[in-house]
Amino acid sequence: MSEGLPPTMTEDLLRPLLRTSWRFYLLVAFLGSIVAMGLGTWAYQMYRGFGMTGINNPVYWAFYITNFVFWIGISHAGTLISAILRLVNAGWRRPVTRCAEVITAFALMIGAMFPIIHLGRPWLFFWLMPYPNQRMIWPNFRSPLVWDFFAISTYLSGSLLFLFLPMIPDFALIRDRSTGLRRKIYGLLALGWRGTTKQWHRLESAMQIMAIAIIPVAVSVHTIVSFDFSMAPVPMWHSTMFGPYFVAGAIFSGIAGLIIAMATLRKFLHLEAYLHPVHFQNLGKLLLMMSLLWGYFVFAERLTTWYGNDVAEMNVFYVTQRGSFAPLYWTMVVVNFVIPVIVLSLKKTRTIAGCVIASCGVCVGMWLERFLIVVPSLSHKFLPYSWGHYRPRPVELLITVSTFAAMALLYVLFAKFVPIIAIWELKAGEHPSPALSPVAAHEHALGETHA
Amino acid sequence: MTACHAENNIPTVGPAQAARGRAMHWLRVERYWEGEFPDVRLKFRPVMCQQCDAAPCEPVCPTYASHHTAEGLNAQVYNRCIGTRYCANACPYNVRFFDFFNPAWPKPLDMQLNPDVSVREVGVMEKCTFCVQRISAAQIDAKAEKRELKDGDVKTACAQACPAKALVFGDLNDPESEVARLSRSPRGSKLLEDLGTLPKVTYLARQGDA
Amino acid sequence: MERRDFIKLTAVTGTTAALTACGNPEHQLIRFVPDDDIVPGIAEWKPSVCPLCRAGCGLTVRVLDADFETTRKGQAGVVAVKAAKKLEGQPAHPVNHGGLCVRGQAAIQLTYHPDRITTPLKRTGPRGSGEFAPIAWDAAIAELVSQLDRLTDRASLACIARPRRSRRLELVAEFLSRFGAPAPIGFETFDDEVLRRANSTMFGRDQLPTFDLARAELVVSFGADFLGTWNSPVSQNAGFGEMRGRRSRGKLVQIESRMSLSGGSADEWIPVNPGTEGVLALGLAHVVSSKSAKPAAALAEYTPAAVEKITGVRAARIERLGGELAERRPAVAMIGGPALAHTNGLFHALAVNTLNVALGAVQQPGGLFFTPELPSLRAGSGALTRPSAALKNLSAQALVLVDDVNPVFGSPRAWHVAEALAKIPFIVSFGSFIDDTSVNADLLLPDHSFLESWTDSLPESGSLELVANAAPPVMRPLHDTRSTPDVLIEVGGKLKTPVALPWKTYDEMLKASFDKLGANAWDGVEKQGGFWSAAPESRITLHESPRIPNPESQIPNFDGDASAYPLHFLPYASQAFNDGSVAHLPWLQELPDPLTSAMWCSWVEINPQTAAAKKIAEGDIVEISSTQGSIRLPAFVSPGIAPNIVAVPVGQGHGVFTQFASGRGANPIAILAPMAEAETGALAWAATRVKIERVGDANRSLILFAGEMRENPHENETR
Repeated sequence: MSEGLPPTMTEDLLRPLLRTSWRFYLLVAFLGSIVAMGLGTWAYQMYRGFGMTGINNPVYWAFYITNFVFWIGISHAGTLISAILRLVNAGWRRPVTRCAEVITAFALMIGAMFPIIHLGRPWLFFWLMPYPNQRMIWPNFRSPLVWDFFAISTYLSGSLLFLFLPMIPDFALIRDRSTGLRRKIYGLLALGWRGTTKQWHRLESAMQIMAIAIIPVAVSVHTIVSFDFSMAPVPMWHSTMFGPYFVAGAIFSGIAGLIIAMATLRKFLHLEAYLHPVHFQNLGKLLLMMSLLWGYFVFAERLTTWYGNDVAEMNVFYVTQRGSFAPLYWTMVVVNFVIPVIVLSLKKTRTIAGCVIASCGVCVGMWLERFLIVVPSLSHKFLPYSWGHYRPRPVELLITVSTFAAMALLYVLFAKFVPIIAIWELKAGEHPSPALSPVAAHEHALGETHA
Repeated sequence: MTACHAENNIPTVGPAQAARGRAMHWLRVERYWEGEFPDVRLKFRPVMCQQCDAAPCEPVCPTYASHHTAEGLNAQVYNRCIGTRYCANACPYNVRFFDFFNPAWPKPLDMQLNPDVSVREVGVMEKCTFCVQRISAAQIDAKAEKRELKDGDVKTACAQACPAKALVFGDLNDPESEVARLSRSPRGSKLLEDLGTLPKVTYLARQGDA
Repeated sequence: MERRDFIKLTAVTGTTAALTACGNPEHQLIRFVPDDDIVPGIAEWKPSVCPLCRAGCGLTVRVLDADFETTRKGQAGVVAVKAAKKLEGQPAHPVNHGGLCVRGQAAIQLTYHPDRITTPLKRTGPRGSGEFAPIAWDAAIAELVSQLDRLTDRASLACIARPRRSRRLELVAEFLSRFGAPAPIGFETFDDEVLRRANSTMFGRDQLPTFDLARAELVVSFGADFLGTWNSPVSQNAGFGEMRGRRSRGKLVQIESRMSLSGGSADEWIPVNPGTEGVLALGLAHVVSSKSAKPAAALAEYTPAAVEKITGVRAARIERLGGELAERRPAVAMIGGPALAHTNGLFHALAVNTLNVALGAVQQPGGLFFTPELPSLRAGSGALTRPSAALKNLSAQALVLVDDVNPVFGSPRAWHVAEALAKIPFIVSFGSFIDDTSVNADLLLPDHSFLESWTDSLPESGSLELVANAAPPVMRPLHDTRSTPDVLIEVGGKLKTPVALPWKTYDEMLKASFDKLGANAWDGVEKQGGFWSAAPESRITLHESPRIPNPESQIPNFDGDASAYPLHFLPYASQAFNDGSVAHLPWLQELPDPLTSAMWCSWVEINPQTAAAKKIAEGDIVEISSTQGSIRLPAFVSPGIAPNIVAVPVGQGHGVFTQFASGRGANPIAILAPMAEAETGALAWAATRVKIERVGDANRSLILFAGEMRENPHENETR
């Protein structure tokens, strides 16, 4: 095995919960004000009317749907990564899982706001829910938007469960080390965990089940989100490839988001002893693989479109490749494919910094990809007389920016109240108990720096 | 086009909103130039909701605001619409329009409003209804008089106003009606037929006469 | 619960949910509002007459009960009124046959316009400042009476009105005549006076023509936008629709340098050098005549080759088209719009009349007719004064009545109408809106809108039957306005030397004139808005051989030296606004122009080559300068216009004209040179030359409804 975990592990990982500096308050205030501005902007939009956005005829979806797909995409990081890694028993996952699961939970919550924000009459959003009502109808189950509702709510509840379950032992740990109000709250959250063998069994079985169950849910979520587009007869939306394309893109952006989050945490919470370059290298390799996969999907789609030469599709093709959207399109290709492939395939550049740079590029690129799927197609449908343009207006920009602040804020708050690295997982890695789970093939010990 | 606005209480959005691409012309006349000067031709085409039998806007509406009636019309129920605008994206003809703001008619222009047609509020989609209020009114009259509707009883506002009588409206299910007869013409074609929307509007090609 | 039961339950629920999505659940949908519970309001349908142009289309107006918020005697409240809701064409009317043009549809907004003048107004600030204060009718009428009494020279009273044939105008003319003032000045921007002169010369009818398009096989239009704004558009549309709907579908040839709405529907579109339309007509007449038994000697010089040199139309084409005209009968030619608006407009009109004679189209099925006019209804005893002359002498007048016309807007700055008005001591306006002309008035006596008062018109064209339109008010006046003819009658009675008109009210006059038509003529007014009957045809004096116009007048003159001002300038009547008099109606501002799809703005149409040479792209701001001034507007690059012409629609560019039209766009009429048609003195509005310069990048002033003008924008892309 290894030299073992640093003796100060528990202290290190609990420090953010126990000690709060003025920097934290400043950060929360800053992020909180941006989020408040975002909420205020949304209220303003509801008050003045949806016309405050840049939406028009024919571009009826733009920034908000892009954000929706983007954030749902980011949410594929966590659960998928931690579930898959758990199932294949990759030991290096241990410090990463909670970071990832948290991203999923919050990205889903933020993403799920957007279908409400983009409604013309958002105060009636609950009509998407199937409940006995005075209109005497169910929602239209043939509509992909209703599928979205079910998919996202299922995924959200599943992810929250998947997030919460492994937090229980850590809550118990904190409970046992604290007094007063804190002891009471964490006691409630710990749900009476005593650390008995039976409870550990149950926890591990539950985690296994969830890990298996959550994977098809995650795949279905983004597939269903892709159906929002592919079910409509819009040029370059009506593609059979959208399901796998979107899922791949989601995992891609999710991993990028995860890398950024981890790198940030590592720096600001001083977790260098727990998050090693090898973690980033492994994730970097995954990112490289997804980048190649993304590039493959894009190439396949573009080649088929170009070769097929359908008039309506070619109009959209040209406007992205050569026309008014070309600068965005080629930026996307560079930051999603060219830079990550170069940076991540060379061992020399596959450092933490390199991974972060590539990931930032990928986040930008994947946001652009969603935008370039939505807007060019809508602005160039079948009848050229009705083609249009789109320009985002301040409300859309402000709300978009505020979602990033919201993500950061939620993350910061979470890290303040829950240890961001699962303490018991690290310990379990150190002292594996074959009765509970098979020994990992390559149990990575803290202290090892190679991949 | 103005007849449609007058009949259906369509808001006038004003220059700023029109510049943003939000003018709401339920019926529009598309024009396409062909050729270059001096061999230039102009193609006109009035386009309104095609009331498709396989309308792509219907399955995608989460609240059944866009749905098919038993008579074959694509109905838009403003009260059920929550404004997802999916229907507008799915419509290949771009004939669906969104109320971006609450419409305002500086008084007393609101006195012209047709009481048979609801005024839509912000956040809902609207489109040509084939003047369903006129169809209903004619059906009620026919019922009261204990007779069937006959061809010519219902005229949409646009068909009624057209000075050249280029628009013909009627019951396709009545094989003797003028519209049924004309839609069987060899000059007839449908717009974006190969998308499989089964539109109800037949366009009679301009006969070439050079 | 046990796991098994749980699974069963979820399975059942899930299946049910899935099954509801199968089949057609909409059959179970309860319509939000059940059919039977909606009772549409019972409407009355009342006849009326559209006043917007001289076509005189018959209307039927849908009237429903409504609530009107108003202030009466200082108290705000709601009054239950019968309100007009929609205008439709009257199905049986001989002019419009149930159709109605877009301006007619929008006319209802005149009644409900938020910026209507609702009470008489008196000027309080400097003239032209737009500062007015309300006064009561009695005070207003007293003011006008005292001003009229004060006139030392009764001939210094002038009235500017639209030269539309109606009993209303006859009443105004009668008032002036008995007062001792000259006949009203007839002002209309797009008045086809030249064509009337040509018809009077060749056919003895001082009248615009009516065309039997429904039975024509071949129609050749020289610049006449007969489907858009020219002459009697709805009637012509109806005929055209029938022509196209027939089994033997007729052919339309449009000859013009800028594609108009009519040109868009043409089977063959022929651009021609501006001001040479008549030469082409004579060339075609030559070909037709040469194929007849007795070719006209007078046409001999108009060979296709010679005509090609002048007009730019290829000789082979002239031969072919002439051949078609000879073979394909009935054929008819029409001329209007820019073709008449040259310094030699009369030449072109006479040439086309000559062609029609050669085609045997005069008073033959499928040809050219004149709407019957009975002598007892002939409008006005004297001809109206020609505007171009009279408006120049306007400043000599002491008191001017402006009867709902806008000469400040509708005439070139070179006529100095605004300056002339500034010198006139007292100006009274009867219109319902404050516009560029009425803002200069001292006293505004607002007329009712046409739906609120008796209204009449005598269409001079558009019908093969005699038509005398008159209709009672459709609704009560909404505001404190009064019918202008009644105001004049009252004023006439109150003068020191009274003007004793033989009728007490306007409708009394109408009844008297209708009674002359027949015992039951007046019933028609209440029932259908007028009296019409197939009156006996009056004879047309036709000259035996075609009267060939003087060849010396075949070359037009243009203002502006050709090197400094290389482009011809074409202001054209727009589909939305015609001459601009309805630019204040919001529906019309938002109406996409049929050829450019532009809304709420002005633009200049430029040929792509011309635009490229000046580096002008769509939307760029262009300055158009004539010898008289310049205007700035965004460019629209159009393939449907000749390289040596630029065209600007008329209608925008009002300085003052309600919240919807004030300060919007540019007025092309303003920069026209004061060129006149040689024989008639009419304004030759197509005779100005201009130069253009790109002065700015596209800002958002060009507002287009369309995204793209071509169906396959990328068809020329290399792949």
